[in-house]
Amino acid sequence: MSRIILEARDIRYRYPRGLDAIRGISFHVRRGEKIALVGPNGAGKSTLLLMFNGMIKPDSGTILFDNSPISYDRGSLRILRKRVGFVLQNPDRQIISPTVYQDVAFGPTNLGYTEEKVKEAVEGALARVGLTGFGRRPPHQLSGGEKKRVAIAGVLAMDPEVLVFDEPTSGLDPSGSEEIMELLDELNQEGKTVIISTHDIELAYPWADRAILLLNGKILQEDVPDVAFGNPELVRKARLSMPTLLELYLELERRGFRLPERRPRTVLDMLNVIDRAFRNKPCYTQPGSITLFNIDSSRDADISGWCAAHPGIPIGAMGTRAKQRAADEKIPLDFTYGVIDKCILKALLGEHSLIIVTGSMVERVKERVQGFCSENQVEIPVLFP
Amino acid sequence: MYEELLEDIAQQNRLREVNTVTKLIAGLGAVILCLLSASFVAPLFIALVLTATLLVLARIDPATYGKAFFGPLLFGGLGVGAIVLLAGGEGTFWSWQLLPWFSLSITQASINQGFFIFSRVIGGTSALLFIAFTTPMTDLFLVMRRARMPDEVLDLAMIIYRSIFLIMDQLVQVYQAQLMRLGYSSFRESIRSFATLAGSVFIASWEAGEDLTRAMEARCYEGKFAVLGEGRPLSLPSAAAVVSFLAVSAVVVKATSHIRLF
Repeated sequence: MSRIILEARDIRYRYPRGLDAIRGISFHVRRGEKIALVGPNGAGKSTLLLMFNGMIKPDSGTILFDNSPISYDRGSLRILRKRVGFVLQNPDRQIISPTVYQDVAFGPTNLGYTEEKVKEAVEGALARVGLTGFGRRPPHQLSGGEKKRVAIAGVLAMDPEVLVFDEPTSGLDPSGSEEIMELLDELNQEGKTVIISTHDIELAYPWADRAILLLNGKILQEDVPDVAFGNPELVRKARLSMPTLLELYLELERRGFRLPERRPRTVLDMLNVIDRAFRNKPCYTQPGSITLFNIDSSRDADISGWCAAHPGIPIGAMGTRAKQRAADEKIPLDFTYGVIDKCILKALLGEHSLIIVTGSMVERVKERVQGFCSENQVEIPVLFP
Repeated sequence: MYEELLEDIAQQNRLREVNTVTKLIAGLGAVILCLLSASFVAPLFIALVLTATLLVLARIDPATYGKAFFGPLLFGGLGVGAIVLLAGGEGTFWSWQLLPWFSLSITQASINQGFFIFSRVIGGTSALLFIAFTTPMTDLFLVMRRARMPDEVLDLAMIIYRSIFLIMDQLVQVYQAQLMRLGYSSFRESIRSFATLAGSVFIASWEAGEDLTRAMEARCYEGKFAVLGEGRPLSLPSAAAVVSFLAVSAVVVKATSHIRLF
């Protein structure tokens, strides 16, 4: 278990107009975790999040960052806010400058970086959210998803250790939401601790390491998502709905099917559950292969040529730079989120597929595929061209 | 919504990538030459060149350009009409003794004078529109910073620029909500609706201000707002084009100084 980075000890907060917002909350977040804070409107999610970077000071109780209590003088707050990046729900409220470049540069400039370092930080941050070349655009001309990415880049430019997102997917279209969640995953892979608040449990369920259900300023439940969301009574109390896959699993269980221990978090898991439930051999003969194309290890390798040699093969990309590379080479992508599972699904149908990945994602793909194979006694070859 | 339109066009015009100072020198130089010119020929020449540049090189939609031109032209036309009637001078064509001490007349000199001023209006307008259509505000901030404009003024200008679009959105939303519920169906209703519109937008902008402060706090604000983005490098062909445009225009100013309409 990694070290605790954020901790709340019995914090309470009352709004100026006398309403109790937070009524005694204690919990901790470990370095590198993905936490989803879930609850109905007015449960105190946003208030709680705003305490993590010192925007709101609790009336009583302590918040610890990196094992020392937050102090609320100007200098310490600045250091805290550099280390805990906060992305507001409404990007229009977060973006303050007339151009994308200036906005992303806001944090680094105020941290006193030199002009070259600012430029480096801005370009790095824009590349990570996939907005290279957007520097001179004014924010009001961007789409909702692009604005969100600018807001995220503005925070990334300060290189924080913890990223806090208030409703990261609100106002985005479904595919935009999936892409933002994928980006959060990528940032987490790079070692950032990510905390989000959301209503969208379908998105939070497969994404989070741990879910915290909040109701009326108190923690209702805190556990791994399939347990936290798996209790119908709590879910109803928190005015949420159970994730479809989980509900399906529980319904099958109730009907007396013998199911695997692990509850399904993705369509792939669900398929596995159904497979077992019906005690049938799956309907494939020979699984297809998954080819991995690592853009970091083979810079000038010929993806387009490979694709031309294998027409009709489904192609996915993982990681912002991988997607950028595919766009540069004009390779049409079939999958841009949930890529591994979709490729395994293809493999189970006996089809081959290609994933364009960044270096940091290679291991993750291999682990996931191997994990699936050993769990289900199948062989899906992972190839490198 | 008109200003927003203009700014959006400027953001996307084909001359956007040309160095900002180059474009400013072309526009402001043209204004000065229009003022120095003693004849109507040079301002019209300048207007022709700049308009052609805008329509052909910057790919500005002719209808939009025409609409933008119409306003100043109408205003200038009214003024010129008054000058033609009041300036007097030699070679009277028509005159009307309106009152014992006041007459209106059209003379050769007054027509010359009026036409000359009208040509300056055309030249000046095209020069300013050239800047407006090719140089978005965001690029001008950069030049202002280089020109040592005080940071306080520049910060304020940038915040205002960003806020305009946010508050404009608010305004349009509230206005449409009112319109949908027949808020402007009668005169009295319109006045009431307009008042509530103004009130709600005022409150919205107040809140936007508070949000802005919070957003800046959350992002480690310490007195620095005006960061430099990247300018476009000065390119030789465009600089040469501007220099030769101004040089040729100056020659035209000099050579045509004696030409009158009559």
